[in-house]
Amino acid sequence: MSSAAVEVNGLQVVRGRRCILSLDKLVIEAGQALTILGPNGAGKSTLLKCCVGLSRIATGSVHVFDQPVHRLGAVALTHLRRRAAYLAQLLAPGSELPLTVREVVGIGRTGRAGLIRPLQRSDWRLVDHWIERLGLRSVATQLYSVLSGGEQRKALLAMAMVQQPEMLLLDEPTANLDVFWREQIVQTLDDLHQDGGLTILLVCHDLEAIPSCVRHVLVLRDGCAVAQGPVEEVLQPTLIAQLYGQGLTVLRHGTRFLLAPTAQRGML
Amino acid sequence: MDLLFWAPVLCAGIVAGASTGLLGGFIVGMRIPFLGICVAHAALAGAVFGALGGLTGPWLLVPALAAAALSAMLVGVVDPQTVRTDINVVLGIVFSLMMGLAFLGLGLFSVYGVSDNEVRNLLWGSLAFCRWRDVRIMVIASVVELLFVLVFYKEMRAILFSRSHAAAAGIHVTFVWTLFLLLASLVLTVNFQTVGGLMIYSLLANPAVAATRLVRGFGRTLFVSGLLGAASGLGGLLISALTDLPTGAMIVILSSLLVGVAAIVGRYLRARELPQSVAEDVNVT
Repeated sequence: MSSAAVEVNGLQVVRGRRCILSLDKLVIEAGQALTILGPNGAGKSTLLKCCVGLSRIATGSVHVFDQPVHRLGAVALTHLRRRAAYLAQLLAPGSELPLTVREVVGIGRTGRAGLIRPLQRSDWRLVDHWIERLGLRSVATQLYSVLSGGEQRKALLAMAMVQQPEMLLLDEPTANLDVFWREQIVQTLDDLHQDGGLTILLVCHDLEAIPSCVRHVLVLRDGCAVAQGPVEEVLQPTLIAQLYGQGLTVLRHGTRFLLAPTAQRGML
Repeated sequence: MDLLFWAPVLCAGIVAGASTGLLGGFIVGMRIPFLGICVAHAALAGAVFGALGGLTGPWLLVPALAAAALSAMLVGVVDPQTVRTDINVVLGIVFSLMMGLAFLGLGLFSVYGVSDNEVRNLLWGSLAFCRWRDVRIMVIASVVELLFVLVFYKEMRAILFSRSHAAAAGIHVTFVWTLFLLLASLVLTVNFQTVGGLMIYSLLANPAVAATRLVRGFGRTLFVSGLLGAASGLGGLLISALTDLPTGAMIVILSSLLVGVAAIVGRYLRARELPQSVAEDVNVT
C-alpha cells in the first residue's frame, strides 16, 4: 500500500484525433494540496475528471487511493467517488422541477447514504451546517434555479463538502464569486486541510485564489506538464510569461500569490 | 349516470391520471417530455405487430411492453455526451423509427386483410370502455411505480438535478436510470391502452408543469403532479359523462386548463410571498 492519494503513470487522453492530455508521472500524497494551473485547453479539468473516472483514458493508468480508476467497474467507481468529491467547472443547469437549495446540497449525502436508506437527521444536520458555513442560510428554502452564479457555485461546493470526502477535486471553485466569498472559500479550504488533512486538487486560473495550504503546483500547457514542484519555485515570472504572455508578473504576499501587470509591480 | 358502468371507468381515470402525472414529474424534471410519446408509439408498434401475429385483448400488452422497454433502453444506452447530441434529438430519432414501424404494421393489416380496429383504438384509447380487469393491471403498475419512488426517491432527486453531478456524488446513475426507463415503459404501456397513445402525452406533461408552478421542493412537486393528474382524469371523465363530449378530449383540455390556472395561482402565491420575505429581512436588520 502506498501513501499516494493519486498516482498517474503514462496517462494519455484522446478526443477525436487530438491528444488533450499527456502526463508521464504525477504523484499526490495523501493530505497534500496541489494546484493545477495553465491556460485554457491545457487539460486541467480533464485531469480531474480522470481521477474520478468521468473521462475515458486512452493509455496509462490512474490510481486513486490505490485503486485503478481506469479499470474499475461501475459499482466500485461509485464507492470511490464517495471518497473523492468532485466539483465541476460548469454550473449545473438544474432540474425543471423546483428543487430548493437545501435539497440540492443534500444530493451530496445521497451517495454516502447508499441505496434504499433515506437521508437521516444527521445527514440533514450536516447539510444545514454547510449551508450556514457558506452563507446560504437565507436562500436555503429558495429555488436553486433562481440563485446567482456565485450562490449556485457555493451550493455546489456545499454539496461536495457534505460528502465528507477524503479528497476534494475542485475545478475553479471560486469562479463567479465576489472577493469576500472567494476569500471565505480559500480560508475554508485552508481550515479543512489543516484540521482534517484533506487531500486537495485545485484547478484555478487566478493565483490569488490559491489557498495558503497549497504548497505544490502542476502547470499544464497543451495537455502536457511544463512545470511541477513547490509553488515558490515554480511560479516564476519566466513561466508566467511563457504561459500567459509578456507584461505579467507574480507578486507574493505571505503565503499567497497574485498575478499583476508588470507596470503595477510593487503594489503590495 | 349508470354507476355500475362508470365505476371502473372513473377508477381507471383516477389511477391513469395519478400514475402518469407522477411519472410526468420525473420526465418533465429531466426536460424529456418527448420520452412519453416516444415510448407510447413504441408500445403501439409492439401491439400492432403483436396483433398481426394473432394476439388479442390483454395479450397485446406483452409485445407492447417489450417494444416500449426496448425503445426506452435505446434512449438510455445512448450517452448524449458521447454522441454529442441532445437527448431530445435522440428521442426524436427513436420516436420517428417507432412511428414508422407502427404505421408499417398498420399498413400490413390491409395487405393481409385483417381488421385493425383493436390496435387503432390504442392510438386514441378506450377509457370509456374500461373494465375492472384493466383497472387491476393499472393499479399493479401504479404500485410498482410507488415502490420505485419510495426506494429511489433521493437518487432520482439527484439524477433529476444533474446526471453528471449525481455520478460525481457516488450515485449509481446508470442502474437507477435504467430502472426508471423500464418503469416508464411499464406505466406508459399499461396506461396507453386505456388512455391512448396521443392523450398520454398531455397527462405526462400538463400536471407536472402545473405542479412546478404551485409548489417548491421535489417531494411536494411529485405529489401535486400526481394529484393534478388524478384530478384531470377524474374531472375529464365526469365532464364527458355529463355532457356526452369525447372523454379523451375533455381530459386533455382540462389538464391544459389546469396549467393556466396553476400559472395564475402560482404568480399570486409568489406575489404574496415577496412582501413577507421583505418584512422578514426588515425584522432581521
